[in-house]
Amino acid sequence: MSTPTIIDDLGALLLFTMILILAAGQIHRAVYAVAAQSLLIAIAGAVLATATGNRDLWVIAGITLTVKTIVLPCVLLWVVRRMNVRREVEPVIPIGATLALAVMVVVMSFHLGASLGPVSQAITGNALPVGIALTLLGVLVMATGKTALNQMVGLFASENGIFFTAMSVTQGMPLIIEIGVILDVILAVLVMAIMVLRVRSTVDADIADLDRLRG
Amino acid sequence: MAETLLWVLPLVPTVTAALMLTTRDRRILSAIDIGGSAILVALTLVLAGEVASGGPRSLGVLRADDLGLVFLLLLVVLTLAVSIYTVGWLKQAVAVGNMKAESLRSYFCLVHLFVATMVVTVLADNLGVLWIAMEGTTITSAVLVGYHGHHHGLEAAWKYIIVTTIGISFGLFGTVLVSATAAAHGAVGADAMSWSAIMKVAPMLDPGIVRIGFIFVMVGYGTKAGLAPMHLWLPDAHSQAPTPVSALLSGVLIKCALLGIIRFQTIAAAACGRAYPTQVLLVFGLVSVVVATPFILAQRDLKRLLGYHSVEHVGIVALGLGFGGPIGTYGALLHVINHGVTKALAFFASGTAIARYGTRDMRVIRGLLAVAPIGGTLLMLAALSLAGVPPFSIFVSELLVLRAGISAGHWVAVAIFLSMVVIIFAGLLHHVGAMVFGKPTEEASREPEAWSPLLGMVLLAAIMTLLGLTIPASLDGLLQRATEIIVG
Repeated sequence: MSTPTIIDDLGALLLFTMILILAAGQIHRAVYAVAAQSLLIAIAGAVLATATGNRDLWVIAGITLTVKTIVLPCVLLWVVRRMNVRREVEPVIPIGATLALAVMVVVMSFHLGASLGPVSQAITGNALPVGIALTLLGVLVMATGKTALNQMVGLFASENGIFFTAMSVTQGMPLIIEIGVILDVILAVLVMAIMVLRVRSTVDADIADLDRLRG
Repeated sequence: MAETLLWVLPLVPTVTAALMLTTRDRRILSAIDIGGSAILVALTLVLAGEVASGGPRSLGVLRADDLGLVFLLLLVVLTLAVSIYTVGWLKQAVAVGNMKAESLRSYFCLVHLFVATMVVTVLADNLGVLWIAMEGTTITSAVLVGYHGHHHGLEAAWKYIIVTTIGISFGLFGTVLVSATAAAHGAVGADAMSWSAIMKVAPMLDPGIVRIGFIFVMVGYGTKAGLAPMHLWLPDAHSQAPTPVSALLSGVLIKCALLGIIRFQTIAAAACGRAYPTQVLLVFGLVSVVVATPFILAQRDLKRLLGYHSVEHVGIVALGLGFGGPIGTYGALLHVINHGVTKALAFFASGTAIARYGTRDMRVIRGLLAVAPIGGTLLMLAALSLAGVPPFSIFVSELLVLRAGISAGHWVAVAIFLSMVVIIFAGLLHHVGAMVFGKPTEEASREPEAWSPLLGMVLLAAIMTLLGLTIPASLDGLLQRATEIIVG
């Protein structure tokens, strides 16, 4: 198989994981789905690294594998256990409507991807629209997810989308920048986890449910 | 020398932050705090001198040019004022139990890490580093916003970190797009993300892609800057944070995000013509000014009032950039400094008033002038300046923005801007007048005013008044050169 076909297949799988996240009934399933998504991104990085001989991409794939596929999902699952929430993820809007919105976002992304044609590279196939779709769908998860953990999963997925986009247009951002971005994501997730647990320990409420500040 | 300063400057607050962890004594912590901030001010002045005489300097991913220096100067001066103010504020906060004496060092450490990330933001040449530092400011300041640990604080902190993180994801996306088209036009490796390298090839970039990239960046960094309709986190975060942090958030942080927008504005102006980015800025600026107005009028919480006021003033800066031309841009940059200084003063004065009355409800705070004559006067002065009364500094910059709008022929925008400013003028003076004058309530504390908060406030009030009367030649030169960078 040629590189563009492999990347296209990975892109299709990435969109599939995104649907799993959007439709996940329980929060730990969404965490598994986002871990799988990160794994696919790492594989895509490795494929591109082999095809282009760009050594930086190997490093990025390795970091994605360790940090985003293993460490951060473990942190999230740990928070899930501490929160002791096995309840259903309560969506702000019904799952059917969310999926319909998601379809619109994907279609829109492919249109946007077409108008951004000049920057995408032949070697990466249809990666650009997929990257845009993942980024926007991640934001959709953050906006519609009612629990704090859902919002964190959305943040992750959105960040994955940006990484995939960066790979598809410039074969990745400069290594040092990419490491910096990952570092930021780790710190943000840790700070968020601390906040979630802190609220949980004082009141029996999800931090995202607090809504006393108005006007 | 100047090149060395580029990496020393972010290091100073980082080292200060590390030093904080070595002690628990409040006096020593405050001494390190003021010392670190003073060194930062001194080094920045040296750097400003070097750049003024020898032009922009760069070192790797960092670069000091006149545009960044405008923001850096504001940052360091406010940091010093905050350090001085914190001494007395902290004593009071510990006494009433708002701050825990044993966790003070982590507070100071976070404040200086926050300052360090902002220093990197304004000195960044690499747009990726700019983004990383910007997200760094979110993480450090989100912890500070929720520092008091009560529900409201944590709610505000959560909203802040989620909304701004979503927002600046868009910023990173826009950055990737712009650097991708730069890479297609010969910028190699890390250069593809370097602002100065991109500016060299900017006229050749694909206008369609830069347009989409700029919109993403505008929404992204606009969220962080508090431009409406992405401002929803701002009144919560700015009102719930400890007062010194509120001053830094409102005074400097939102301006750093504006600098990010300005960097991309220059790229977009070169690639797709001057009209495009200015029109986008004009729309966001106008929406912000209009959206903030009803909330300012109906507000009862003193710190939220100031938060919404920041939305209005960020809108005015965007309007200045949107009206464009040398006058509008100069006015916008001057407004960045004026609003930063004045808003920090307003937060300081409100913080001491709130501590005195034990509430933030503006209907309860009465007769401040009788119980705290100096603090009350300073709050009144800050409010007069914020409302745009001469001879204070904000009057001058608003006038410049207005003049740019008139000469560019944006009559509708000018009319909306003027009417909103008049309404806010009346609303703000009504609120503050009621607090300052009248008969104080029985509960109000009659304690004499502490020296350190007053010193911090007088420092800012002096700058505020000075800039209203005259702009020193060196600052004028700096602003002129920064304007040239934007207008070209």
